Amino acid sequence: MIFEQLAGNLIQGLVLGAIYGMATMGLSLIFGVLRVVNVGHGAFIMVGAFIALILFNVLGIIPILAIPVALVVGLALGFIFYYSALRKLIDAPELASLLATFSMGVMLEEIVKLIFGSEFRGYNWAVGKITLSMTVLPMTKLYACIGSVLIAILLYLWFNKTRAGTAMRSVVEDSEGAGVCGVNVGAVYALSFALGIGLTVVSGVLLTMFIPVGINPYMGGALTLKAFVIAVLGGLASPYGAFFGGLVFGLVENGSYTLFALIPGVEPFALTRFFSFVMLLLILLIRPTGLLRAK
Amino acid sequence: MKVDIAKYYPIIPVFAAYAVMFLIGSKMSGMWELIAMLAFYCALGQAFNIFLGMTGYVDFGYVAFLGVGTYGMALGITRLSNVEGLGIGIVIIGFLMAGGMSTLLSLAVGAVALRLRGAYFAIATIGVNEGFRYLIEGARLWNGSEGIIFIAEMNQIFGREAASAMFTFWADVFVLIIAALAALVTLHFMRSKIGYALTALREDEDAAKVMGINVTKYKIIAFIASAIFAGSLGAAAWALKTPYVFPPEVFEIHYTIEAIIIVLLGGAGTLLGPVIGGLIYGISKYYLAIILPGFQLLIFAPIIILIIVLFPEGIVGMLKNRIRGKALERYII
Repeated sequence: MIFEQLAGNLIQGLVLGAIYGMATMGLSLIFGVLRVVNVGHGAFIMVGAFIALILFNVLGIIPILAIPVALVVGLALGFIFYYSALRKLIDAPELASLLATFSMGVMLEEIVKLIFGSEFRGYNWAVGKITLSMTVLPMTKLYACIGSVLIAILLYLWFNKTRAGTAMRSVVEDSEGAGVCGVNVGAVYALSFALGIGLTVVSGVLLTMFIPVGINPYMGGALTLKAFVIAVLGGLASPYGAFFGGLVFGLVENGSYTLFALIPGVEPFALTRFFSFVMLLLILLIRPTGLLRAK
Repeated sequence: MKVDIAKYYPIIPVFAAYAVMFLIGSKMSGMWELIAMLAFYCALGQAFNIFLGMTGYVDFGYVAFLGVGTYGMALGITRLSNVEGLGIGIVIIGFLMAGGMSTLLSLAVGAVALRLRGAYFAIATIGVNEGFRYLIEGARLWNGSEGIIFIAEMNQIFGREAASAMFTFWADVFVLIIAALAALVTLHFMRSKIGYALTALREDEDAAKVMGINVTKYKIIAFIASAIFAGSLGAAAWALKTPYVFPPEVFEIHYTIEAIIIVLLGGAGTLLGPVIGGLIYGISKYYLAIILPGFQLLIFAPIIILIIVLFPEGIVGMLKNRIRGKALERYII
């Protein structure tokens, strides 16, 4: 039955959407604070995916425990890239930071390729599943979804309850004004970039818990493009907007795929991608602040 | 009206460079392949520079124009291959279709994306590029993801020998011509009202608007000019050189990145920059692929970051500062 299939796909879409949302929060955080679009975003997700893969396949560590490892690696990468290059490009024209972040992504991809090769890999962590009438949800997917929601809540608390979070929000509001009031703007930039990258690397772990196959050094390209659409849905500069955008995107992606598959003579997968970019352009044109009005 | 020839002196080093490239390629055996690749990168930089360099807007989906240009030539040749007596005229029609289709796409993109600025513009243009690719694949437009292969048509129209000369020689000559024409248009823009308006817009769009400059008009002029050259380049360097077209290849974002690197390396908004950038990028890519196959990107990526951080003005930009007030200033901009 088509409705049953649609409902099943929408449930999958919602679970995946939470992960998508979490995977885009880093992008939006970095853009919100530094006004830099991280074009190498997907490569950092890929790094997280490899951390989960290696820890599980080689050391037998379950992906949930890979999350703190990914966070530390991500923070370190973020600080290294910020202090080695990005710091000098904050006030430069967009071109410079776009090309720099893209090159960072390429660098990571090539290093990972050098070490692990470019074949597709996967892992198999079986911990049971929930069977519903219209779809089957493995527990790993559910864990990944819950993990995404928890991380989003933690980020919210961190933004609103800690001094560092308040400093970040003040820089988003008005970086000059924040500087005048004694906020160390440079440190906030560094921390925000590192945190953004940390979140992104963590999301790579969560993503492999949803789709534990197809892990490859170049898996990030398509994810970067999806993240752009999601970030724009959420208003580009707001991490919570991005989380919400991820949920919408997951539903739209899976829903529209189910419907496009009914049309004879088309390739539903490609049309789904086409549809998501139409959505991107419409939102940019009609409502550039995102579906939720950014704060 | 007196035309001031001295205004056009800076085209001399550019044309000289292309002439030397042609001579080296055609006279020295075994060099044509390298020269063809260099010509492509110079032309790519020269075409992209008209928009990116002069307006400061980052079109991340620039390769889409090369893509539709490739389709323009491919469609022209496949649809008209049975018409008698067209001969070489079919290539002209192909170029016209490539130019026309890239103009149409640039008008459509311009109407939407040019309202946006900065990062929003960059993201919107990526969206257009990917969206267009998936529309072709998803709706099975122009044969969908199977692409168009037209080597049989080329052989049928020109005969096997002439078709082979087209793939290995004439296509590259067209690329050189496109590069030279793009340079000429760039210089013409620089020396006319368009250039002054674009400089004002690049420095401060709001101030330019307040001064009464119709920024939208000039942005669109630069965008369309840049797109037409990109479309022709796709038609020559991709469709005529390798007679097939597949959507994932002609909409590959790496070509946009290469174009950005070339423009930035040579110096954005300079006339000679894309030539220098294209030559350096092409030569280093060519020899790295021979010396260290598989490691090119790993070496390139950190170098690019270094260049952006240390020499944001590019090579010609730095050179311009050095020669200020000297006689060379009349020839290098």
